Amino acid sequence: MASNNLSQLLPSELIDRCIGSKIRVIMKGDKELVGVLKGFDVYVNMVLEDVTEFEITAEGSRVTKLDQILLNGNNIAILVPGGAPEDVE
Amino acid sequence: MSGRKETMLDLVKFVDKGVQVKLTGGRQVCFFFNLQSGRKETMLDLVKFVDKGVQVKLTGGRQVTGTLKGYDQLLNLVLDGAVESVRDHDDPLKITDQTRVLGLIVCRGTVVMLVSPTDGTEEIANPVMLVSPTDGTV
Repeated sequence: MASNNLSQLLPSELIDRCIGSKIRVIMKGDKELVGVLKGFDVYVNMVLEDVTEFEITAEGSRVTKLDQILLNGNNIAILVPGGAPEDVE
Repeated sequence: MSGRKETMLDLVKFVDKGVQVKLTGGRQVCFFFNLQSGRKETMLDLVKFVDKGVQVKLTGGRQVTGTLKGYDQLLNLVLDGAVESVRDHDDPLKITDQTRVLGLIVCRGTVVMLVSPTDGTEEIANPVMLVSPTDGTV
């Protein structure tokens, strides 16, 4: 099995620890979303709340979506727990 | 039909045979199909990279370096101190010198294209001779 050695950190564990706090989701393309992680599934589809969407090329902060969104895991590339320093206003 | 998770065609009959594989996007490859062991393993066990610096290239053109802290069978990665190399806005194929610090991240295994150790890779001058526009070959 890939992870016999339990002194390493499993990716799913790290995402799990993030539930309830802010997370930044970086897509394959130039889009990023920051929001509170409510949950995810085995395909890493994600439920996010209070989401801000960023389009990185134009450096424009786009739509701020409230309520909850279901983000399709197909295009998710990178997950950053805690958002990023630039987001903290 | 039986309810078990099986592919339509059991690839075991292709083991040690030459196969031609057509990929989405139009690529086509031929290779000899080997089965190293019966188990579902990655070709390279990432355990030797844990706590080492790695460079990860992702589909879509992103490139990240960081310390590998963890992974799973699906090739999801946990990188610490991750730094993304920013692509040029105008030319997405070119990596600029700018970097963006991301910190502790999870890289989705579905987009991981390449994992290589930072120790032991160095940038060299471009060995490929760029042809003039009049010559149609690449």
